[in-house]
Parts: sequence; structure tokens; C-alpha cells
Amino acid sequence: MAKPGSIFCGSSDHGLSRRGFLGAAGAATAGTFAADMTRLDGLKNPLLAGEVKRQQKSVILLWLAGGASQFETWDPKPGRPTGGPYAKIKTNATDVHISELLPKMAQRMNHTAIIRSLNTKIGDHGGGASLMETGRVSDPGLVYPDIGAIAARELGRADSQVPDYVSMYTSTEGRRKGTSGFLGARYAPMFLSDKQIPDNMRRLEAISNDDHKDRAALRDLLSRRFTQSRFSEKVNSHTTAYSRVHGLMSSEKLFDIEQEPESVRAKYGPRQFAQQCLIARRLVEAGTPFVKVARAWWDSHGQNFETHRELCADLDHAMATLLDDLEGRGLLENTLVVTLGEFGRTPGINASLGRDHFANAWSCSLSGCGVRGGSVYGKTDPDGHKVADGEVGAAEVFATILEALGIDHEKEYMIGSRPVPLADFGAKPIKEVLV
Amino acid sequence: MFRASLAFTTLLFCATSLAHAVELLPADQPVESVIDHYVDDLIQQNDVQPTGQLDANILIRRLTLDLAGRIPTTAELHAYLAADPAIRRVELVDRLLSSPDFFDHHRNELQLLLEYPDRRNDNDFRKYLLWATEQNRPWDEMFRDMLAGDESDEYQKAALQFVKHRARNLDDLTNDTAILFFGVNVSCAKCHDHPLVEDWKQDHYFGMQSFFSRTFLTKKQDLGEKFYGEVKFTTTGGVEKQAKFMFLNGAVVEDTTPELTDESRKKYDELVKKLQQDDKVEVSYPEFRPRQRLVETASHKDNDEFLAKNIVNRIWHRLMGRGIVDPPDQLHSENSPSHPELLDWLARDTVEHGYDLKRLIRGIVLSTSYSRSSEWDSAAEPPSAHYFAVAIPRPLSPRQYAMSLLVATRNPPHWEQWLTRSAEDWKKERTGLENGANGWANQFEIPGANFQVAVDEALFFSNNDRIDNDLLRDSGDRLVGHIKELKDPSAAINAAFEAVNSRQPTKDEQAAMLDYLETRKENEPAALKQVVWALLTSPELRFNY
Repeated sequence: MAKPGSIFCGSSDHGLSRRGFLGAAGAATAGTFAADMTRLDGLKNPLLAGEVKRQQKSVILLWLAGGASQFETWDPKPGRPTGGPYAKIKTNATDVHISELLPKMAQRMNHTAIIRSLNTKIGDHGGGASLMETGRVSDPGLVYPDIGAIAARELGRADSQVPDYVSMYTSTEGRRKGTSGFLGARYAPMFLSDKQIPDNMRRLEAISNDDHKDRAALRDLLSRRFTQSRFSEKVNSHTTAYSRVHGLMSSEKLFDIEQEPESVRAKYGPRQFAQQCLIARRLVEAGTPFVKVARAWWDSHGQNFETHRELCADLDHAMATLLDDLEGRGLLENTLVVTLGEFGRTPGINASLGRDHFANAWSCSLSGCGVRGGSVYGKTDPDGHKVADGEVGAAEVFATILEALGIDHEKEYMIGSRPVPLADFGAKPIKEVLV
Repeated sequence: MFRASLAFTTLLFCATSLAHAVELLPADQPVESVIDHYVDDLIQQNDVQPTGQLDANILIRRLTLDLAGRIPTTAELHAYLAADPAIRRVELVDRLLSSPDFFDHHRNELQLLLEYPDRRNDNDFRKYLLWATEQNRPWDEMFRDMLAGDESDEYQKAALQFVKHRARNLDDLTNDTAILFFGVNVSCAKCHDHPLVEDWKQDHYFGMQSFFSRTFLTKKQDLGEKFYGEVKFTTTGGVEKQAKFMFLNGAVVEDTTPELTDESRKKYDELVKKLQQDDKVEVSYPEFRPRQRLVETASHKDNDEFLAKNIVNRIWHRLMGRGIVDPPDQLHSENSPSHPELLDWLARDTVEHGYDLKRLIRGIVLSTSYSRSSEWDSAAEPPSAHYFAVAIPRPLSPRQYAMSLLVATRNPPHWEQWLTRSAEDWKKERTGLENGANGWANQFEIPGANFQVAVDEALFFSNNDRIDNDLLRDSGDRLVGHIKELKDPSAAINAAFEAVNSRQPTKDEQAAMLDYLETRKENEPAALKQVVWALLTSPELRFNY
């Protein structure tokens, strides 16, 4: 893989065009970092100029809410008692087979690595989701930030003109907003549940554009008088929040897929999940470091095979289109696309033709930035009951994601006197799936 | 009986002990003068330059935010400025401390401290806390109510929500109790002896946990306690150990449960099962009740240092923006207090005066240490926060901010009547404000160690129609409606500054606002709205500074 610190994941072809989209704000990146007043107290490694290099990287997390079956996606076992009715198919990566329910992805496995040896142990929705979002078991003494907040913190800019953590979760089943925990509200997700466009992004018609700007200028005047003689990060965060308003308002159009040419929209198609992936691509292209798109509800305790036929078709189409689009724009090498959920599903097929929660041997996938395309890490036993080789947990997935993005997973936040590494203590990235 | 069942183990446990070589100031000195003595002492010893005292208008603002949970009304501001400077501060403090404003606000603050964030509007718990603050219930009794209250008492039953909300999560119950009542975060010691703090061993974590391990929720949502049961844990060396009922200082409570036969264990197991499944079964309790024993042990005079120091430090942190021990959940020997003698003195005073929190609060807000300015004008670096030489700007809690927005945006003459009307009437008005704040408070972040203003808040103020239609409405009952009628733009600007920021505008501010109004001559009422908007969204209203 590209060395940590390289600017564009080993490729620089489109980094500049992204910066161009941001205009002067993008060009002023290094300078604005110096003014980052939102830094955590006691951060062990203060942001250095060199770290600016990581900023062009992004993550799109496709969250398979409810828990997708590894058998019907990345780790098929056709012909076995646990395998279910679907076949496996060849992919464009040597010796890699996936479920026939993902035919489009099969033709794009050259971008994708599969990890088939997750043993994450926690088999309830809340606990599993929390574990996979934060990469560690929750601890009552501390609220950990999730991967989105960490990416926003590590890859974003303090004064970003675009949202740096967007979370889309339309379904009500298993809905979770995500949390920035001890990193603070600056890194909390912009959360979209019932709408495609975030709240309060658009100026009220009752207020003229001039008034909207003029009153902001008056506010700034009052604010300057107050802040100039007060040395407080909390006070400064107020200034930061208001200084981002007009930038964010102008990013409203990023959420509007009507801005895309018809040809692009046609590729993504009419389904909501795919359209949200298109929004994710627009955000990433504009510099948003982390977008989560949740697709629910994979929790197939009954009729597992029908459920997966429908949901996998949706996933397959949306993910394949997204990868194509990112690749076509030169963004894929800078964008990590992850599929993950709270857990996988049981090898055993229950009386309702369902599969239940199963965290002991399941799969996830990584595509794009920093990923060794076509690779498979770990394996399960012939019936998928246990991990047979290369067992890893949530912490290793977390470390691998960070490593793929060029973020030091051992970097520590100091919370009071307590060091908290980005990935849990002792976690190692899975080098085999990284470039 | 209780004392006989206590055994003390000696552990390395020194820095938080009350036994200091230095003699503390006499117990009969006023709280505020003791605070100033110790704070000034450290400032002088280190040659630190403190800031001056606040102007009267900002002092009443700070005091009213801290004691009433809102900014002062213009009527209160004027009355204060007109009162005798020699006595007005004490009079204000004593008036507020006995007003419904304080009961509501102190309740709100305790709830923010004690409750799960998603339970912060739990009505039972709010009812209990209000009842307790109205009668200034001693903190040690509140501690008992919340951890081991009597289910048959209406208020104590409500207090038990503290345990009930956490009853399904033993780790939360253990940690939150240790953090919130004893200022100690032992969660690291769950998996290993604390790497940095000599004081905390796995024995302490599981010792705390064993006081809660028998607690369960019955089908009726009462708290039951099992008749037996031990906490076992594996040390990092791989040895399995049985936890003792051990408090944080090593004090051990003996389990007086008699040896049970398999048969009686079975009988008890069935009883517990029944209680968990059937809401008709009346709860019965064992003789040995660990939660009660924890309460007795922690508030016993030999062990009460954690309970006392924690609440002193929490209240100090609330009013001063930083703990004497900071962060406040790190009360241990590796994290020295900034003012150890002051913490000892205040803890002793609090215990000796029956855990009277009002006395403690009154003492702090009457000190000159409390009323320093937060403005640092010098070119030199400001002194470290632990000196309390410069006041620390504190973000308002969601309710403080919501309530202050409502107070600021009423038409100022509305508030004049309350200077003379009855306390009963004010209580109703205050309750109205409290209820009105509900709908706004959830827009704002709860202040915590890593508090930041969320961009969602800035977007909400910038573009949400509730701001325009409610806070900035130009009807007669609102600030905008009032200043619109003043005709003179300067007077309108002055009135707006006073209502929102408790002060007059500076010359520059006045000039900038007038310039802006000049460009909007064709529609001055609309322009005045924007002036008020700028005031409402300036950090000056957002912080207690």
C-alpha cells in the first residue's frame, strides 16, 4: 500500500480536481489547520503539517443493518447442509467465489477484499452495532467515538465547508444515529433519516439573502469582541460552528441528485439505497471524509433466502454502480468503500427458513483506497460454523480501515489521564488485504 | 451491629486522605472567606496575576444563571443596580436560593449529572429531585434515597430510578455509582489493576460491583435483592478470585448471609424467578442487603471522604467551570487537587453541616474567587485554569440556554410586575418558563468535558422557522415588538442589548448596528429582528462568562 502520509493513496490523478471544487478554501488547507481551535486537550500527537496529506481520503460505509448473511454474500457454501439454495459464482479475481446473488460485484472483485474470518462474539443488535461502529466493547466510563467521527476528526478540516460526517439511515428498524463520543459535537454526524436533505440547510424565504448575510456579520462583530479576550476552546467552538453555516448551506446541493446528469442518475436507478450511494459519491467528491449509508433490514429470522434475494440485488447494484462511478472519476483510489453490519447469520437454517444472529464466523468487505483488490483473508470451516483460519475481531477491522486510510491506528487520544488508541489496544491491521 | 460487621484492610491510600500535615483553617470561619484564603494563597505563592472583579451587571447575570438557571430580567437588573452595593449581592443570593427558580435549576443540574442522557426527562426522577431540592434535603440522605430508598415511600421510590434505569446493566450501575457519588472512575480496573493509579485494583472494581450484583428488577418494576450470590473474577495472572464487599478505601463489609443449603438456594432462586415473572408476588428482602450496606459504609464517618469530597468537587466544578480535582471523576492519589486544603476544609464543613448543599453553594458564590472577570486583556499568556485566577466561561446547559432565550425575547416591561407580585404567582410564571424551555432544550448539546457547540445548533438558529416565528416575532409580547415601538433606533438597540446581554452596547457596537439599520431604512422592523438575532446567537448569551 501507499506509505502512510502519501497524499492520494498512491495515485494523484484526481486529487487536484477535488481541491478545485473547494475553491480557495481547499487551497488554503494548510493555513486553516493552524487555526484549528477545536483540538482535544492533551491530544498526544498534535496535528502536524504533514498530516494534511491524508485529507483527500474518504470512506463510504455501506451499513447492512440487521446483519447480512455471509452465506448469501461473501462466503457461500453451496452444497453444504448450511449452504442454502444459492450457488457460488466465479469473480474477476482469481480463485475468489462469491454468492450468485452478487453478480455485478463478481465482476468488480478486482477492487475488493473480503475478510471471511470475523469472530466478534456479540450477537445482539445493540451490542453488535456498538462494537462494529466503535471497534471495541463499550465501556461505561467513556463514550467512544464511532469510525465516522474518528474519520471526520482525522481526515476532515476544522473549518470544512462541507459536512465531514454524514449518516443516512432511512429505515426505522435498528436506526442508530452514530456518536462522536468524547471527540465532541464538532464531529457528530449530520444525520438524515426521513429526508434526503438535512434540516435547516436552506434559508427561510421570509429572510432576504442580504439580511441573512448582514446579520451574520453583525453576529461576528459581537462574537469577536467577546472572544478576543477569552481563551476558551469551548467558546471558540461556537465561532467555528457559526463560521461553517454558509459553507454548509452552499453544500445543500450536494444532497440533491437532480444536479447530476440524467445519464448518471440512470445508472444508479430509482431505488433509494442506490440514490443515497449517489449522494455519498457527491459528498465524497466534494471532500466529505465519511459517509454512512444504512440499508435495512437484513435481520432474516424468517425467509432468509427471499430477503437476501431482494436485499442482495439492491446491494449488488448500488455498490457496483458506486465503485464504477468512483473509479471513473478517479476517486476510488482515495475512497474506501466498506460493507459491514452488526454481525452475520447462523449456519443453521431454522424452521421459518430463516437464519438467526451469528457473530462467530462472518464476513465483511473493503474496496478501493489502500485495499489489495481480489484478496481474501481468513476462512471458515466447511459448514461455516467456526473460523478455521485467520480469526479477527472488530478491533482488527477497525485498525485495517484506519491503516487503509493512512491513519496511525495506534495514535492515542488522551482522555484525562487515560490514553485511548484509535483502534483498541493491541489491534493489528490485516496487512494481507492492504496494498 | 453495622460497625461490628466492618473490617478494615490497610491499602496504599494516601493522597486523598483528610490527614494532612497542614492545619486547616478553623471550622467557624465563613465559607466564602476560607475559599478566598486558599485560592488567593496559591495565586500569591505562584506570583499569578488574577483578573479583577466583575461589573455589577455581569455579576447579577452570573449569579442568576447559576442560582436561577436563566439570565436576569431587565427589571431584576435595574433593581439590582439601584440597590445598596454593600448588601445587594448577599440579598440577591439569599433571595434566589429560597426561590422556585433555584429549586428548579438545582434540580435540573442534578438531573443532568445523575441521569442517563436519554432519560433526562424522566418525570419520576424529576419529581423526586424537585421535592428534595425544595426542602434542601441533605446530600447523604439523597444518596441513600437514590441507592437504597424505601419503595413504600412515594419520593424515595421515585429516587430509586437511579438504580432502576441501570438495573439491567451491572457495569453501568457499578461505574456510574462510583463516578457520580464518589468521584472515582474505576472502569479501567475491571480488566486489570489500574495501570496509572496505585489505588485502584481489580478488587475495588469487583468489590463495588458486588454491592450491586444481587440487585434485580421485579416484574412490578420494583427493586429486589437476591438472597445470595458472589462476584467472581479472574485476575490478569489468571487466578480466579471471589470479590469481597469492598468499598473504595478498602473497607470491607462482611456478608452475614448464613450458609445456605442447596435446597434453600433452590427455594430462593424460585422466589426470585417468580418476582421477575409475576407482578402479583410481593417482594421480600433478605436480611443482608448489599446496597444498604454500601450506603451505610460510604456515609460512615470513617469512610465518608469520597461522598463528601465528590459532592463538594461537583458543585465547585458546576460553579467555577473546573473541579478542585479535575476531571471530577479522577479523585485519586495520582491526580492531586489544585487546592487540597480547601477541598478538605469544604468536605469537612459539608459533613459537619449535615451535607447542606445550599450552604456550600452560597459560600462559593459569595467568594471573590467566584466573581472574577473572565476577560484576559494582557499580552501575556493567561494563567493556568487551576489557579481560578481568571473566570472560566461555561457553556449554558440546554435548559439554561432555552430559558435565557425565553427571558431575553419577552417584551421587557412584562418583567416589571414580578418585583411586587407574590411568590406564588412567580412560581406559576417560573413553571411556565420551565415548560416552555422543554421544546427548545433538546436542540442543544449537554455540556461535558469535551463540549463543543454543534454546527446543527448554528444551522438551527440560522434557518429554522421557530426562531423567526417565535423568538423573533414582532408582536407586542416580544422584545422585537417592544423595540419596534421605541421609534428611536439608538434606544431600540440599547434596549435589545440590555434584554439579551444585561449591558449597554459599546460605541463600536452601537455604530455598527446603526449603520446596518440605516441600510434597511425601508423596513426597519425587519432589520431590528436581525439585530436581536445577532445578539441571541452571539457567544455572550451562550456562555456564563
